[in-house]
Amino acid sequence: MISIDDGGMPTKRRARAGRAFVAPNLAAIAVFMLFPLGFSLYMSFQKWDLFTPAKFVGLANFRHLFTDDPLFATALRNTAVYTIGTLVPAVLISLVVAALLNRKLKGISVFRAVVFVPLAVSSVVTAVMWQFVFNTDNGLLNTMLGWVGIGPVPWLLDPGWAMVSLCMISVWKSVPFATVVLLAAMQGVPHTLYEAARIDGASATRQFISITVPLIRGALSFVVVITIINAFQAFDQVYVLTGGHGGPETGTYVLGIMLFQHAFTFLDFGYASALAWVMFAILFGLTLLQLRLTRRSALEL
Amino acid sequence: MSYLIRGVRRSIVRGVALYAALIGVAWCALFPILWALSGSLKTESEVATPTLVPSHPHWANYGEVFALMPFWRMFLNTVLYAGCVTAGQVFFCSLAGYSFARLRFRGRDTLFVLYLATLMVPLTVTVIPQFILMRTFGWTDTPLAMIVPGLFGSAFGTYLMRQFFRTLPTDLEEAAILDGCTPWQIYWRILLPQTKPAIMVLAVLTWVNVWNDFLWPLVMIQRQSIATLNLGLVWMQGQYVSRWPVLMAASILILLPLVLVYAIAQRAFVRGIAVTGFGGR
Amino acid sequence: MATVSFERATRRYPGTSRPAVDRLDLTAGDGEFLVLVGPSGCGKSTSLRMVAGLEPVDSGRIRIDHRDVTHADPKDRDIAMVFQNYALYPHMTVAQNLAFALKIGRIPRAEVRDRVLDAARLLDLEPHLDRKPKDLSGGQRQRVAMGRAIVRRPQVFLMDEPLSNLDAQLRLQTRNQIAALQRRLGTTTIYVTHDQVEAMTMGDRVAVLCNGVLQQCAAPRTLYRDPANVFVAGFIGSPAMNLISLPVLNDSVALGGWEIRAPRGISGPDVVVGIRPEHLEVSGIGIEIEVDVVEELGADAYVYGRIVDGATPVIARTDGLDPPQRGGRVRLQPVGGHIHFFGADGLPIR
Repeated sequence: MISIDDGGMPTKRRARAGRAFVAPNLAAIAVFMLFPLGFSLYMSFQKWDLFTPAKFVGLANFRHLFTDDPLFATALRNTAVYTIGTLVPAVLISLVVAALLNRKLKGISVFRAVVFVPLAVSSVVTAVMWQFVFNTDNGLLNTMLGWVGIGPVPWLLDPGWAMVSLCMISVWKSVPFATVVLLAAMQGVPHTLYEAARIDGASATRQFISITVPLIRGALSFVVVITIINAFQAFDQVYVLTGGHGGPETGTYVLGIMLFQHAFTFLDFGYASALAWVMFAILFGLTLLQLRLTRRSALEL
Repeated sequence: MSYLIRGVRRSIVRGVALYAALIGVAWCALFPILWALSGSLKTESEVATPTLVPSHPHWANYGEVFALMPFWRMFLNTVLYAGCVTAGQVFFCSLAGYSFARLRFRGRDTLFVLYLATLMVPLTVTVIPQFILMRTFGWTDTPLAMIVPGLFGSAFGTYLMRQFFRTLPTDLEEAAILDGCTPWQIYWRILLPQTKPAIMVLAVLTWVNVWNDFLWPLVMIQRQSIATLNLGLVWMQGQYVSRWPVLMAASILILLPLVLVYAIAQRAFVRGIAVTGFGGR
Repeated sequence: MATVSFERATRRYPGTSRPAVDRLDLTAGDGEFLVLVGPSGCGKSTSLRMVAGLEPVDSGRIRIDHRDVTHADPKDRDIAMVFQNYALYPHMTVAQNLAFALKIGRIPRAEVRDRVLDAARLLDLEPHLDRKPKDLSGGQRQRVAMGRAIVRRPQVFLMDEPLSNLDAQLRLQTRNQIAALQRRLGTTTIYVTHDQVEAMTMGDRVAVLCNGVLQQCAAPRTLYRDPANVFVAGFIGSPAMNLISLPVLNDSVALGGWEIRAPRGISGPDVVVGIRPEHLEVSGIGIEIEVDVVEELGADAYVYGRIVDGATPVIARTDGLDPPQRGGRVRLQPVGGHIHFFGADGLPIR
């Protein structure tokens, strides 16, 4: 049966209503999304600091970014480390946690509610709390490590450890959302499949690998994409945890911090816009790649 | 007979192991908060000692939060911003979502593809021009900058609502048409009441997003009187760097409202996610 | 009071090769109960929706009460429709569902209340007025759907397979109720179903459609006795008429050893012979068949068999008291005057 929205009722009134209903939404998107998109591209070819008039510099910003700016390479590297350091543990942990929660145990809803709590905490509050956890002298982690005789770790004072700390926080924040999505997907897998597998003699782990994971592929790829996108642009947590300079000693100098610095501290809007577009391009490429990979594996199945 | 006992023993062990694992996971999820809670009840000196539970809960820390920052003011500001944007998003996105799902007009499908394309645009690209836009309108450091950009909805919200509207049965709408309804009446009186799960998801996501937003308030707001809670916390962190108890008390106070809201909305929210098809696609 | 007419009405879905409804010419008289029946995809629902205004008319016209409504808005056509899945508003009570269209039409509240109570009384829905659709049984929901149409007091009722979601017994009961209701209200009704038994029992006239084309529109008895073509012959009647293609030799055809005189004037070498199961009697002489299955239904029995020289399947109805045995052979004698002949073009040859 042909449904209404496929041309069954093309009356003028509905068309007029359609346009009117979309108009406010579209206007907002045009003003706050499309215009900024175009304008930032335009700005990336300028040199501008808000007070003096803008000067057209062509591709100079981009050239400087790729050839002269050592901090860009650092930021790129740090962001990559941070992204992978978030993605891999987060996905693995959420798979396990979602599988754990996908049962009809008594009180399971309490556990589910608890696991989702970090979602409700803002990045700022998260970072402040974890600062206390990571405190070298009397933070929780060093205290607990002290009980087993491991020396205090300079979580936020050493550049390498600072990145580790950042990743830990990021994983802590990413797992709940990923778990929600994966759990919802898992609950969509029909029970009868598991029963058939059990009759065929598959163990619980085997069932998980061969049935659960393939059937939640869509949700998995969604989670991967979202996690990458968020990690790539990270700013809030980094700023609050280690300050707006990406310290200590550029240990946490990620692209998000670099962008903020150039835009709102140095007021170098042209350069910052160029950086933003480079980030966009990388992100776009990554997402396309990831979509293509999952589509190919979907065809193979 | 022995295999029966073995089976029962195995399932008991499995049960215990499962619960242990779940408790472990719960601990991982909660420990920073619990640690912050414990720190917030200690005195300045006690903080140096590595105990989990403070000897005497020092509630005065919480009182001091109110002395060191205009908590209630910031709370109200945050509620105002989150509330306005959420209401606006829900209304305008559902209206547009209905349009894209059920009303035919020229260019509808190309327009929707454009919407989908904007979903890909990261925040980093738009933040600088949005900042400049706010300056041009003269809205920097005013509530308008916090409310208006999100008020008329977003591409994501519209996408969500459109997907959901498409799952509603068409004969409901046909019956309404035959009953004499105008498109607005169909939307408002017939279809919107059926979209509660999707609206729940959108409302919670939007509220949480605005409440937790940091970069935008950081860039836009200078005055304390219109600042958000997050901003207040960071300012406090800058000013009272090592005063852990007070900082932890402030953190707990700030996360409490949202956790409460979340605890209540959680069930509906998770069901909404399943219904709107984020799972198992 | 209103007539409904299709005047060469056509609807073709974009991207399809043949029209869903092809130049339909049909008129429902004032107060008539007209049934549209046919197999899936024949265009009956599409035709109904064209009258409702839910489907555009690509060419031709639709008239309600002689008024050309082809391009009129549904709400200006003064019609009411009962949907297959009822389309009750889930968030409203039964009373609100019934009253909704009237409220939209700005009918004064007192009259709304009167009409709602009248309909509720008529359909035995009074105890359920404050309940929501999800708390009702299938039969109750169906009645609410009917009630919604009744309160509108329209010129035309349109019903789209309203009984197909009910269980068999309820279907029977409701069928009679709908027919009685329509007689009482006297409103012109167009009723769509795929079930030919429903069509035959309920309709004043029945329109048989196939592939978007009207095959025949006539009273049930006429469809049964004088089908206009081989499709109608095979569609109407349950079990279906036996239709067998046979070669003609010397103005007669042979079937299972039995010779039947054929009418004069058959052009081609073959002719299609049609005999209904109820017009084949088990007797000593006649068409010889081998019995495969016997369905015993109590008062009647249906014999399914194959013609001995040819393996053509045949169905016959016989008395339920002493039906033939499976695997045996019986002879079926056609009752005189009830044998149909159809030419290669599907049309009857008399």
